[in-house]
Amino acid sequence: MSKDQCLISINGFNSTIENLSSFISITKAEDFITNKVLDIEIDKSENAQRINLTLNSSSTDLIDFEINLTLNEGAILEFVDESNYSNNSNIRLITQLHKNSCFELYKLNSYNNENTNKFYHNCSLLENSTFKDYSFSNGSKENFSKTIINLDDVNSRYLGSGVSINNSTNSDTEIEIRHNTKSASSDCYFKTVAKGSSKVNFDGTIFVDNYCSKTISNQVSKGLLIGKESKINLVPKLEIYNDDVECSHGAASGQPDKNTLFYLTSRGISKEEAEQIYVEGFLSEFFETIDNASMAEKAKNFINLNT
Amino acid sequence: MLEIKKLNVSVEENKILNDLTLSIKTGEVHAIMGPNGSGKSTIAHTLAGNPNYRVESGSISFNGSDLLDMEPTERSLDGLFLAFQYPIEIPGVTNASYLRQILNSHRKHQGKDPIDAAEFLKLLKEKSAYLKIPMEMHSRFVNTGFSGGEKKKNEVLQMDLLDPKLIIMDETDSGLDVDALKVTADAVNQMKSKNRSLIIVTHYLRLLEYIKPDFVHIFQNGKIIESGDSSLASRIDKEGYE
Ligand SMILES: Nc1ncnc2c1ncn2[C@@H]1O[C@H](COP(=O)(O)OP(=O)(O)OP(=O)(O)O)[C@@H](O)[C@H]1O
Ligand SMILES: [Mg+2]
Repeated sequence: MSKDQCLISINGFNSTIENLSSFISITKAEDFITNKVLDIEIDKSENAQRINLTLNSSSTDLIDFEINLTLNEGAILEFVDESNYSNNSNIRLITQLHKNSCFELYKLNSYNNENTNKFYHNCSLLENSTFKDYSFSNGSKENFSKTIINLDDVNSRYLGSGVSINNSTNSDTEIEIRHNTKSASSDCYFKTVAKGSSKVNFDGTIFVDNYCSKTISNQVSKGLLIGKESKINLVPKLEIYNDDVECSHGAASGQPDKNTLFYLTSRGISKEEAEQIYVEGFLSEFFETIDNASMAEKAKNFINLNT
Repeated sequence: MLEIKKLNVSVEENKILNDLTLSIKTGEVHAIMGPNGSGKSTIAHTLAGNPNYRVESGSISFNGSDLLDMEPTERSLDGLFLAFQYPIEIPGVTNASYLRQILNSHRKHQGKDPIDAAEFLKLLKEKSAYLKIPMEMHSRFVNTGFSGGEKKKNEVLQMDLLDPKLIIMDETDSGLDVDALKVTADAVNQMKSKNRSLIIVTHYLRLLEYIKPDFVHIFQNGKIIESGDSSLASRIDKEGYE
């Protein structure tokens, strides 16, 4: 393992934290399991700092904790959670991004259709800070994810990409982007695939306050229905109280194109495989937008594994 | 090889093919000509099993099996290949990975192991060079943003890769420049064999001059109104259908 990393591993009622970076400071780590709170602060460094979170448990205990994360001025952090959640979970992340900091969050999570999983993230961005939010998930019995983005100061940027692949699972994703300053931008892209008897909801809210001129905000959500009994509900909500903004939004869901499926089967590919190829095509643009090559590869694997 | 008897086919309540009968023996090359809307693509898609085309009555036997009982996948795996008049774009799927997957489906059906990446690349280079397809095209998405001619060449490439027993080419020559037409005709001539039959749907004499079909059929209103040898194509070229 290279330096400048921190490994947080939570295994049932145990947790280990291995911190190999002098730029990452963690408090309340000792009694994390009892307190269920971890405070992490990242300092400015030349190279990106990295936190890897792994959750492992064979028991059915609820995984329940909160992380308060602060990126100090100029800090750069990659936070990676590749856990397979075999438990019920309730995780809260509260993030403060100070001036010129950059935060990349990669969540590639497999859940299980017997569990209830909740993820709540509240992120506030100060001047010229950037948050790149990548989330890949496969849904569970009740999978609830809520993200609130507060763009609190000029030139703050949010780039969100969410993929939810459901195979007779359910997922409910809410993203609320609050433009509380002028000259901030947000881009939010959500795609979902619903197979079998999945139910998928997506609520995307863009709020622009009346004093927030020069706002740029885009939101696109797209759904692909594979199962006859699956349902996708995409709800964009715009609350815009300023005229000097560039905002766009689009939401569409539908079934795979029949002519494409016929083309594929006419070349000897089975119906099931044709659908899979179609889904991979539908989702492929996501791993192309990830600059980080190793994470792009992981996202690709996640999609291949779950389609 | 192929026996079409009294075939009636509808598309969305419109009857397109009327009692079409056509018999093709192994090793034969048949050309189909006919005015726009006469049902040429309809028979091509019906043979490939496109679910948009509803067979009302009649029969098609393919190498002794009831073709109408077979799914499109099965038809392909058993050696039927349709080169589309309008090849479909598949965004997000690279041409190389697509070509490898269709080849592997056929290999699997033949009880062979999947082709490994290096071997496939070699094969792809060889076939692409022959058809004058730049390798760069294979890292793009299937047919997406390809020019009309590039799409047609990509169809010929797939035909070449899958080595089918019965080839149906639906206006593969339309949209090809003179050089590409010659390359394509050469490729088709290479594929002519005593074990393979071809149906070539075209509006132009040019391709037929290269390929020299054994029979030419004229379609009108969903049936064959005249059949003959290749001199029929020349006559149509001069005199038209009227
Ligand atoms: N989806 C459809 N809905 C309604 N009519 C259709 C549909 N598809 C085809 N047709 C009709 O069926 C008829 C035959 O079409 P087909 O495509 O077989 O003609 P074609 O002989 O291949 O013509 P071309 O030379 O222009 O390619 C046409 O009148 C066409 O409009
Ligand atoms: Mg046609």
